[in-house]
Amino acid sequence: MTHETATSHPVGTAHRHEAHAHVGGAKPPTHRNLGLTPSWHIGALAATAAVALALGVWSMTQVDPLLIGGAGLIGVLPPAYFVALGLSLVGFVASLSLRRLVPALLTWQLLVAVVVLHGADPIIHGLPRLEATFRHLGIADNIGQSGQLDPTLDAYFDWPGFFSMLGMLSGATGVKDLFGIATWAPVGINLLLLAPLLALARRLTANPRQAWAAVWIFYMASWIGQDYLSPQAHSFVLLLTLVACLLSVFGGWAWPTERTRFSRRLARTVSKLDSSAPGYGAIEPHRADTAVLVVVCALFLLAMTASHQLSPFAVIPIVAALLLTGRLRLRFFPVLAVVLPVGWLLFAASTFLAGHFGQLVGSFGDIGANSLGALSTRVSGSDAHVLVVYTRLAEVALIWILAVAGAIVGYRRKVPWLAAAAAALAPLVLVPLQPYGGELLLRLYLFSLPFAVCLAVLPLMSDNTAGLSLRRALGLLLMGAVLATATVVSRYGNDGMESFNDDEIALVNRLYSTAPTGAILIEAVRNTPWRYQHYADYDYRALVAAEPIPNAAPLSCDAANQIAHNAGAYLIVTQSQQEAAELRGSTPTGDLQRFTATCATSPGWTKVYENAGGVIFHIKGVSNGK
Amino acid sequence: MASERSYMSYATAAVALAAIPLSFVGPEGLRLAVIGLLMLAGPGTALVLLLRFDHPRSAQATGALPLSIAIAIAFSLTMSTLVATAMIYARLWSPPAGICVLSIMTLAFLGLELTRPKRALVRAK
Repeated sequence: MTHETATSHPVGTAHRHEAHAHVGGAKPPTHRNLGLTPSWHIGALAATAAVALALGVWSMTQVDPLLIGGAGLIGVLPPAYFVALGLSLVGFVASLSLRRLVPALLTWQLLVAVVVLHGADPIIHGLPRLEATFRHLGIADNIGQSGQLDPTLDAYFDWPGFFSMLGMLSGATGVKDLFGIATWAPVGINLLLLAPLLALARRLTANPRQAWAAVWIFYMASWIGQDYLSPQAHSFVLLLTLVACLLSVFGGWAWPTERTRFSRRLARTVSKLDSSAPGYGAIEPHRADTAVLVVVCALFLLAMTASHQLSPFAVIPIVAALLLTGRLRLRFFPVLAVVLPVGWLLFAASTFLAGHFGQLVGSFGDIGANSLGALSTRVSGSDAHVLVVYTRLAEVALIWILAVAGAIVGYRRKVPWLAAAAAALAPLVLVPLQPYGGELLLRLYLFSLPFAVCLAVLPLMSDNTAGLSLRRALGLLLMGAVLATATVVSRYGNDGMESFNDDEIALVNRLYSTAPTGAILIEAVRNTPWRYQHYADYDYRALVAAEPIPNAAPLSCDAANQIAHNAGAYLIVTQSQQEAAELRGSTPTGDLQRFTATCATSPGWTKVYENAGGVIFHIKGVSNGK
Repeated sequence: MASERSYMSYATAAVALAAIPLSFVGPEGLRLAVIGLLMLAGPGTALVLLLRFDHPRSAQATGALPLSIAIAIAFSLTMSTLVATAMIYARLWSPPAGICVLSIMTLAFLGLELTRPKRALVRAK
């Protein structure tokens, strides 16, 4: 088991020479010269994490999904779950308080925390979370089967990178059903984030102890739930690795700081604000390897550009902020970060651009609508849902308050803080661009979080190299407990609408086996686990979006009849559609049951199939065809 | 350290070699495990081994290991994404051929690594 020192080093050339001396001739560390923690302490902490894992998984298997209400999982998780979560938190803080850090132990404890906090969906439901996941599987299936793109179907086909990769995996393995991968994606993606998060935090904090704590806080506060099988999750892994790589290998000023008055002033201001040397603690590969890494970073950017609309645009302000704070010496990189996504939009995604130009630029500069407007529409729905939304806001506020306090503490203590602060704030410049379907603020929180947590740990931890004092350890534990509990509420608050059951999947399969190819398929509320196959084989419609609608009108049979007027249609109403409508306030309370009962007796409506997951109707058209 | 690198190289080469026939035929579970591993970590691990992203036993250089792992994964995902996307746009869609390209790339990086001087090239500031 290797041990990691938590020593904070003075900045300067002496330190560099010392490093070379260590590399060249130092004896390997032994238990004598390190003053190791007794191995039984480490064993006990590892065993505690194992107990937390077993207890956490067992407690989640005891949850009855049918009892999940409007507040989500928090109402149905047994006390044993919180004991497991508590053990996981106490164990991690205890490990962080050891005189010498044990990376293997900390890694194991973080893995346990990820499974306990972010693994509830696969363990409890055993199915992919979010209807978008099912759509993503369908797009990958469509591309994998046809080997072609159809941008007229929807915008996903203009950014096909991630879906092509999934299609290649499916095609090359013969595995047509990627449900298993989609189900466990939240755990898998969080585990994939561990290395880039740690690499990033090592560059943005003063010592390894703070870096581990920052990663831990990230997992505790990451409630956004973008870790499903999605292009944004894939791009987020690339984005964090890209920034970590840039900071580690390409730190420093991009121009001679004495060249112009502006560069002189900028360097002086940066130095005054944060005196830690740019590129502090960075890795310095051989020149040829450095050149290879430039290409690698550009490829990361290209893969992100081909996969997701928003993520590459988030890279632009982040790398610009690093450039202006003397943490990025590749001056062409921000230019490349602009050219690639804009070029893709103009050439590869021209179909999307032509069809959505007005929508893209319509809200440009409307900061109020893109921020507070999008926010206010989310604070609606059932009382339980509003409580969940307020918990999310409180969690975001807590992280930002800690981050601001951390920036002040960092400035006073003269430890690295400016790069983290600049990178955390940088994504906010995207606010004036457009609301991104009302989700921009959520995404910006996610983009800022890895940097904000590096600041948030500063008020909670000293720069002391030898462990944590009892007071600080208790403070860190308390903060972790508050954030983790809030995340159980905020992350799983929409569980009723975001999770599905086997009955609903059986219902959708029955729909596909009943409806002929090309038929119109209608969902009452846009929240159905479908399109994971036959993505382009049917005409999919929805009566109402699963979005908050102030003073929502009741659903009428006429709306479905109009769609079915010519050729007929099949209408599907599921349990999770009802949950979504109630939670988000898309229809009046109880309206979907009334709609189903009323329309079932309407002329031309025939009940095709019904199970515990929902009901399928066939609506006869004029031609009585399909 | 040298033996760890060797084991890693052998394991990566084994995965890359096994993925080639498995991309055409084999039991689904095994194909998913081997090809999934190749797409997730194959070319990136070979690249990191080529770049000598070792983490010397130096206090100052700690942080190289997570960065190496991050680059190994991100580069593999990147190449898988770009190879698949290129096949789509070139209208040459063939998933087994895409896997073969990734395998050959992995083996090429490992081959280049063999020809490089053995001295560690990474330095810590």
